[in-house]
Amino acid sequence: MIYAENLKKEFKKTIKQPGLAGSFKSLFNPKTEKITAVDDISFHVAKGEVMGFIGPNGAGKSTVIKMLTGILTPTSGQCTINGQIPQKNRKQYVKEIGVVFGQRTQLWWDLPLTETYSVLKEIYEVPEDRFKKRMDFLNEVLDLQPFIKSPVRTLSLGQRMRADIAASLLHSPKVLFLDEPTIGLDVVVKDNIRKAIAKINAEEQTTVILTTHDLSDIELLCKRIVMIDKGRNVFDGNLHDLKAKFGQMRELCFEAKSVDGLLQKLDYKAHFRVTDDDVVVNNNGCSVNVRFNSDLIPVADMLGYTLSQVSVNDINVKDADIEEIIRRLYKQEVDVNA
Amino acid sequence: MFANLRRMMKMHRIFIAQDLKRMMEYKIDFLTGAFSFLLGQAINIIFLAIIFSQIPTLIGWTFEEIVFIYGFSLLPKALDHLFCDNLWRVGYFIVDKGDFDKYLTRPINPLFSVIVELFQVDALGELIVGLLLIGSTIGQVSIHWSVLNVILFLIVLPFATLIYTGVKTITAAIAFWTKRSGHITHMFYMVNDFAKYPTNIYNSFIKTVITYIIPFAFTAFYPASYFLTGENPWFNIGGTVVISVVLFTVAVFVWNKGVSAYESAGS
Repeated sequence: MIYAENLKKEFKKTIKQPGLAGSFKSLFNPKTEKITAVDDISFHVAKGEVMGFIGPNGAGKSTVIKMLTGILTPTSGQCTINGQIPQKNRKQYVKEIGVVFGQRTQLWWDLPLTETYSVLKEIYEVPEDRFKKRMDFLNEVLDLQPFIKSPVRTLSLGQRMRADIAASLLHSPKVLFLDEPTIGLDVVVKDNIRKAIAKINAEEQTTVILTTHDLSDIELLCKRIVMIDKGRNVFDGNLHDLKAKFGQMRELCFEAKSVDGLLQKLDYKAHFRVTDDDVVVNNNGCSVNVRFNSDLIPVADMLGYTLSQVSVNDINVKDADIEEIIRRLYKQEVDVNA
Repeated sequence: MFANLRRMMKMHRIFIAQDLKRMMEYKIDFLTGAFSFLLGQAINIIFLAIIFSQIPTLIGWTFEEIVFIYGFSLLPKALDHLFCDNLWRVGYFIVDKGDFDKYLTRPINPLFSVIVELFQVDALGELIVGLLLIGSTIGQVSIHWSVLNVILFLIVLPFATLIYTGVKTITAAIAFWTKRSGHITHMFYMVNDFAKYPTNIYNSFIKTVITYIIPFAFTAFYPASYFLTGENPWFNIGGTVVISVVLFTVAVFVWNKGVSAYESAGS
């Protein structure tokens, strides 16, 4: 369905020297530097698959998505989606895809939502009867009814995101690209959006590629993960493999009652006989944050040891965020290569 | 081809309707815009009248003839303003902010898509003032409104408009490489002020520039002078058609090159 082969994208960047004099210098004698945003990325996504595309900020996720959607032209390499090359015959190609950039909107800012949908209906040439059915379906899945008559500028971020996703699905695309669809949303709205994406994927076998920083998005939606960092592919597999391979990092957070000798009391490394890689302690006054590998240190033991050493006000354990896994993953990559 | 054109016309109608609805949301903004425009035009005409109160003619052109040329110059400008105003935004922020992305993910031509997105109702003021000025000179300038001339008048207007659109398209497209080009558009656009007056009042350098380089002289003085004098129809009318088509073809070429160089913006 989606093939990306050795995608590469370079940007030219003018190097500005500091200050006003520097600005003049770079005006007359500009020095440019090549920045490789995406370097040799390849992957394949099957029809009906939901792929989580992750990586830290600046890894090149959005650049890849923009090449796949035909917005950017790759410096080298090629992608084919459903047998089509996005940059060639762009008009035909975009009829088969839906795109949502979480940070932008394609809705008409000053007009009621219904107006946007009727314009999109014309743009994508959706016949009247199919449009009605489609709106009913999207209404049911994304619950647009409460705000469908309001001007877009008055919508909350969560409503706007639902409206944007509905807009991208109006023409029943075969592939849906979602760039950070849950960014800045609260837990309940995130959950609704995830459910909607899962439902659309299940009912219509829509192939979905989504980028996110939220590990829960990945866990609830994606069986498949491609992870990139610094423009390179660092992992391609499923979530289970990822966790099995790179250790189950967890985070223990607690509020100690007293700050005196706090860190001396907590010698996790010696107690569990693990290395710096598998347990990291950070504290800010009384609030302590311990990242640990739960494959080596069971959560119960971790809690038991901590509570035996210090008395706490509040304590909880959660999955470490994706950045943490990437950090470890990337480190490991470097070690393997060295 | 024709089905495509029909579809584009239909889309255009829908977008215009959208904009009228949008305008209704911002009535005060619209009224203020219209008022300030009328004030600006009134000042221009008063200024012309003051000059002509001192001199009888300007290199052989009477006050009424100058008013006709001035009025004529407003028509293509107004038409471009009415239909193609969104090109300004391309150079000022659409490209820079990465908002151009959305035009590339829709199954319609991006240039068409940018243009139809905004129907600038403010321009109706310009159009009305232009027509009023032309009307006010009736009987005072020697124009023979034969059927042929009326047809030529209607034909030459869209081509003259295309010169404005072409200049804006090229300069807006520069933003695809430089991120921002609004000021470049502004700089070139301002040259149109020269076109409101007879080209023979300028030195040969300016005359060459506004005839062949930034051909605004073809948006007003040349076609208007044909209607006033009946001279040189091939150059004055034919030239407008040829120059505008050449310019717009170049503009579309530059635009398309620009689109493939578009770098979007980080999100």
